[in-house]
Amino acid sequence: MTSPRLKVACTLGNIAGWLSRGLNRGRGETLTGRVILAICPNAIHDLAQNRDVVLISGTNGKTTSTSNLVAILSHFAGEGVTTSSSGANMPAGIAAALAQKPRHRLAVIECDEMYLPEMYRKVSPRVIVLLNLSRDQLHRTGEVRKVAQSWHDTFTKADVTLVVDRDDPFLEYAVAQAGHVIRISFGGRRHPDAATCPKCSQILNWTTGNYSCNCGLGSKLPDVRAGKNLRGPQRNTVLITEAARLMGAEILAADAQALLDNSPDRVSQFDINGRMVSAHLAKNPESWREALAQLNSPQVILAVNARGIDGKDTSWLWDIDFAMLQGRRVVCTGERRLDVAYRIQVQGIDVTIARDIAVAVSKFPTGIIQVIASYTAFQDLAVRELGITRVQGELK
Amino acid sequence: MTLTIVRLYHDLLGTYGDQGNAEILQYRAIARGIEVELIEVNPGDSTPRSADIYLLGGGEDGPQLAALEMLRNDGGLNFAAAGGAVVFAVCAGFQIIGESLPAANDEQVSGLGLVDAHTVYPIAPRSVGEVQIAPARGELPILTGFENHQGFTQLGPEMPALGRVLSGVGNGYDQAEGVWHGNVIGTYMHGPALARNPELADAVLQCAIGPMARFDDELAILLAQERRQALKRK
Repeated sequence: MTSPRLKVACTLGNIAGWLSRGLNRGRGETLTGRVILAICPNAIHDLAQNRDVVLISGTNGKTTSTSNLVAILSHFAGEGVTTSSSGANMPAGIAAALAQKPRHRLAVIECDEMYLPEMYRKVSPRVIVLLNLSRDQLHRTGEVRKVAQSWHDTFTKADVTLVVDRDDPFLEYAVAQAGHVIRISFGGRRHPDAATCPKCSQILNWTTGNYSCNCGLGSKLPDVRAGKNLRGPQRNTVLITEAARLMGAEILAADAQALLDNSPDRVSQFDINGRMVSAHLAKNPESWREALAQLNSPQVILAVNARGIDGKDTSWLWDIDFAMLQGRRVVCTGERRLDVAYRIQVQGIDVTIARDIAVAVSKFPTGIIQVIASYTAFQDLAVRELGITRVQGELK
Repeated sequence: MTLTIVRLYHDLLGTYGDQGNAEILQYRAIARGIEVELIEVNPGDSTPRSADIYLLGGGEDGPQLAALEMLRNDGGLNFAAAGGAVVFAVCAGFQIIGESLPAANDEQVSGLGLVDAHTVYPIAPRSVGEVQIAPARGELPILTGFENHQGFTQLGPEMPALGRVLSGVGNGYDQAEGVWHGNVIGTYMHGPALARNPELADAVLQCAIGPMARFDDELAILLAQERRQALKRK
């Protein structure tokens, strides 16, 4: 039932969002959601009533996985799907997503890790996909084990099906008390941030494919076994394919394979003064490693900022091995170009610095250029492409 | 000569890029024609007793206590420090080398006691952000880093700080930041500290091997200057 108050909230919220877009102040969802929640604080709960919601959370791949799941469900389940727009994964963005019309029965919602407990309680989802947990923006979320702990304290019932990467000890701890879990194993690779147990902090014993701790936490038998050498984005596709099956999409193995082949990382093409560059968004050490592993051009630009969402502390650059840049031409740009350039130089790699992306591109007269950019550096590229002035705080 | 640098428990104490400090020391020593052996000590390994420089980094609370227990049981770091080896410890590592620090359940646990310093968790928000300090030793320029810690660390009366806080929180007492006692240096500065402060990196090396040739590391100097300028603007 939609209460009169909720109706008014949604109408005013949509007007505010529409005005915001009209004034070119960004995409407006955050404003829409804020207005809705200000007028009707229970809006997220109310709007999710009698709908089948999937929440997607984790450190890396939320946005891509959300849009992939929407694509699968709308194709294979044969009905419309409500979803959040790219990256708006906090309460205001989620409220705006759920308020959209038509109000489809199915909704796939991306959710920030910190807000997942609250959204789980408000939305009562059918399925939650927990993609992965690794170090991210330490100054904001604190430690990865704190996120795992808050999830552990949250998921204590059997009222939702959790789909998780079984090889991730943080996720295993997160779902250790949950009633209904589907664990998917990718061959049991060692987690780079889990030297110690997420539960008790003793040293974890890692053996091929498994881990265990004296406190009792350990890898469980998987419900599903998937390929061993999948990269992060492919693992995420396997997880959301399972979620699609749970939501009733009759997806065949062959179709899943096709999806796997087509699951792109966040790569976009940008025109910089007439040169096309492909830019890969990398937000934290794990996604930098993924992006570096996929480089195939000998000409590389690294763009690093340290504004709020990038992580204000750049020391994570030293957690990444840049050895694969050896022998390539590397130009560093962005507000923290010196931090990244020095890190790479210490690894024995020749590097040049450039004050902005246009200068960086001009260092390569011909040939393909690949860019890896931190969050706001990537945003700056996108904004530059559109020729509009960046508005603080509109994304996420 | 060969300079031996020991990186202790990188898996447990490497949360904030502090492993970079080892790479920077190695890089700057090699630039002077000094041979370097970098030794990784992992949980379960014993700590060499006769190395030149020992590095401890930042870490989360649980791994910090696990590392402390192993270092205490092993005894190698205390043995080496008593013999004059250089210790450079950041954040959780800084807390570990003190006399006491917080354990689970609001209790205090004894540290390794390399310096007279006591860490407590104050009722205050976590200290997160850029920090800059005026070093106690006049030969160093202003130092900068990024701090991210819950603990406040009080130095004993005989303990010289690494520097005086110009902006940021530091140790949380008396405007002090870090400690520099004999050949033992502790600090809350990540960045990593030695990337953003090449003069401090050289000071650490000099503690181990004495005077060195000049090394004009243009990019490191630019980075240090840029960080100091950025903080001045604030």
